[in-house]
Amino acid sequence: MKKGYWVAAALAVLFVGLGLTSFQKTLTPYLSFEEAKKSKGAVQVMGGLDKTSDRYDTATQQLSFDLVDPQGNRMPVLYGGTRPANFKDAVSIVAIGRYRNGRIEAEKLLVKCPSKYQGSEVERAYPSDTGGSGI
Amino acid sequence: MYFWPGVAAIWAALFFGLAAMVTYFLVDRGRHDLLSVARSAYAAFATSVVAASVVLMMLLIQHRFDVAYVNSYSSTDLPFHFLISTFWAGQEGSFLLWCLFGSLIGLFVWRSAKEQEAPVMIVYIATFIGIIAILCKQSPFKLLPPPAPTDGVGLNPLLQDAWMVIHPPVMFVGFASLSVPFAFAISALWKKRWDGWVPRAIPWALVSFVTLGTAILMGGYWAYKTLGWGGYWGWDPVENTSLVPWLFTTALVHGMFLQRVKKRHRKVNLILACASFATILYGTFLTRSGVLADFSVHSFIDLGITGWLVSILGFFLLLSIGLIALRWRRVPVLEEEETGLLSRGVFFILGIAVFCALACVILLGTSAPLLTRLSGTPSQVQTTFYNKTAAPAALLLAVLSGLVAFVSWKGASARELFVNTRRSLLVGAAAVILSLLLGGRDPASLVLLFVAAAAADMNLRAVIRKAKNGKFGGAGGYLAHIGVGIMLAGIVVSGVYARTERLTLIKNEPTKVGDKTLTFLRVVPGSATRKQAMEVRVETAGGKTAYAYPKMYVNSKTGQLMANPSIRRSAILDYYLSPQQYDPGQPEKVGRDVQLTRGTTQSIEGTGFTFREFNADRSSMMQGGNEVLVLTDLTITPPDGSKHDATVRFVYRLDGAEPESPEVEVPGVAGAVMRVVAVSPSDGAVVLRLRGISKDRASEFQAATRESLSLEVTRKPLINLVWGGFYVMMAGGLLALVKRTREARRAVVPVSEPSREPAFPSPPAVPVTARTTLTT
Repeated sequence: MKKGYWVAAALAVLFVGLGLTSFQKTLTPYLSFEEAKKSKGAVQVMGGLDKTSDRYDTATQQLSFDLVDPQGNRMPVLYGGTRPANFKDAVSIVAIGRYRNGRIEAEKLLVKCPSKYQGSEVERAYPSDTGGSGI
Repeated sequence: MYFWPGVAAIWAALFFGLAAMVTYFLVDRGRHDLLSVARSAYAAFATSVVAASVVLMMLLIQHRFDVAYVNSYSSTDLPFHFLISTFWAGQEGSFLLWCLFGSLIGLFVWRSAKEQEAPVMIVYIATFIGIIAILCKQSPFKLLPPPAPTDGVGLNPLLQDAWMVIHPPVMFVGFASLSVPFAFAISALWKKRWDGWVPRAIPWALVSFVTLGTAILMGGYWAYKTLGWGGYWGWDPVENTSLVPWLFTTALVHGMFLQRVKKRHRKVNLILACASFATILYGTFLTRSGVLADFSVHSFIDLGITGWLVSILGFFLLLSIGLIALRWRRVPVLEEEETGLLSRGVFFILGIAVFCALACVILLGTSAPLLTRLSGTPSQVQTTFYNKTAAPAALLLAVLSGLVAFVSWKGASARELFVNTRRSLLVGAAAVILSLLLGGRDPASLVLLFVAAAAADMNLRAVIRKAKNGKFGGAGGYLAHIGVGIMLAGIVVSGVYARTERLTLIKNEPTKVGDKTLTFLRVVPGSATRKQAMEVRVETAGGKTAYAYPKMYVNSKTGQLMANPSIRRSAILDYYLSPQQYDPGQPEKVGRDVQLTRGTTQSIEGTGFTFREFNADRSSMMQGGNEVLVLTDLTITPPDGSKHDATVRFVYRLDGAEPESPEVEVPGVAGAVMRVVAVSPSDGAVVLRLRGISKDRASEFQAATRESLSLEVTRKPLINLVWGGFYVMMAGGLLALVKRTREARRAVVPVSEPSREPAFPSPPAVPVTARTTLTT
């Protein structure tokens, strides 16, 4: 039985090691627009929607819009999906993705609404493709 | 101001709960005559919680909108079953629901605890006292200042689903049931009853396993079927925080079986019972305190109870860790018994280790925003983190769950094991070959598929073996493991071989997708009972025609656009149609739209447009007319340096008719005209449509768009294996529950633990002090 414990411990250590390394790798920090521009990995940025900036291109099925932070900085966002529900009424939008070609190429949007429903579920996530969110 | 009957019931619950704890404590100190008093106090506690729940339910059903909670979550237009579900739509109600199930479960706990009744009940009640105290502070019975509103805000449309009626109650039964193994474990530590708690607590651990597991799956099915998240699992914090305690509970169930047979791993089980309860509290804190507000799909607004939740969590963590540390050296450890590595005991330990490691890693990922906040920038992990770490764990668990059916407690040789499992390995190989033929190439998924199929077959053979011996009742574990194999195969196949296509269907134009032809036919208008849907004709290559109705509607109360997928199901394939966007079509447009805010200048093709002011003339409306005249004053500065003032008329119709907005010439720019197409007095903005200002006429022309529907079409093969495997797993859990409940009823647990076990003559490594404790 002692052997069993050792194997179990070794397995657990290996596994937690794997967990820690991929934890490091997949960590997406919340960054300001300036910081996001310098970052190479996945980031998330939050800002208000500039309502005049959003365009949906039916041909490429991509949504593009600008986020504006409280200091008035702009960050263009490209999202490979359609406008999420509540998009236009959002107080703020969180875009999760990578900074490439002068804009955030978002994989996921979190829309935060001025909801009358205090409490549960006032937001939803919108993974851009079916496989991406999980399984 | 409060609705007093409800408040009184909550305070009564607090009082009777504390009274029951005190009297049970006296019973434990030897005042056995007080046992019936203690039970009555507990019954009064349960009655008070039930009364509080009934009061809240009555207030909801009677539409008492002067009660803040009722006003916030319900409205008169909700059908009855949704009205019921508003009970748990908010934080206070869901805490009350948790306590309601807890207090009812307690009535069975005291009967099943037998000789351990007093200490177990003290800890058990304590786990709910904190939540009752939160309900005293954050009452669901708060009244709004008069006058009472005539209607409530209503239930969030995302929650208006049949699953909302059933999923949260099952989840809270699971939450509440986790208090039972915890209460047994703490009382075991307190009373040094190292083995006696296990047979009594096993059925309860199985109850948690089944209820929490069912609730998790229901949530996944809800997400898949209605919410249109695409998948059934998104590694969202709310999902994770119920998965982690479930993993610990599953590990606990295995550990308890092991302890029953072997009388070892006592510390492991004590730790696991504490861990599953502590993680449910931690999860509650994470999801309810608002610390994850920027990271989660589900967000709860901080009600100011964070401090309370942290205190409750801290108290039970300290209690668990403190007691385990205090008793660590006194837990008797039996001498090692020589078995090979391929023995059942080793497999159990390995399985438990993998469950715990997986739970810890998920916990780590879910806590990322909290942990990284301490060191600087709050960050979260991507879903790939979970997928990457869960896959090897799932592989290991499947291997163990399969082989365990063919190793005995004594151990098997590798050769024996291979000979016995050969047939199942062939089944696994067959699954891989089939998958290769169907185009599967991803090596990791092929390995998983092999293991899953082989494991399912090994356990199927074990169940048959048991049934032949007339011991089907004891095959719960094997049955559950069959489910694990089937489910894993389903997860792999439906995930790896899913194909998604995004397409835009022009009305009445057939579009070919794979072997099917889709045609968007029309918008089916909604009615009181039915939501607006899109009619899509689905034709298969064989000439069969079917119609799918993905829903897409605007919630009248909030203006939110809601979309529900339509799933065309068959045994082997789900055809998932998720509506993305509906374009009603637009006539061709000539011109260029420019939004101007008051006092600012925009330069278009060298000409400056300054929006000075607008004047709204409401005199017509005042006289009973239905139009408002808006005069917009502009200053135009063409490239030649001149400066002109211009006024543009815009007549807004209150009856919804097309506004009247004549085109006027842009002064100073030959050939250019402008008109106002929209005004927004609140933003102080107008939208001008300019025509002829650009030399390139084509840039001002926007072709008409046709009515169209954008869809995401996903083919998910064999997703039914995920649900089917889960049913089998839960059936196995139920079978084990039946057996262990019978066993627990018959079990004779000595009032105090003997210091050594007759089965193993070797002396324990640490001397044990046996002291008489409770006698009932």
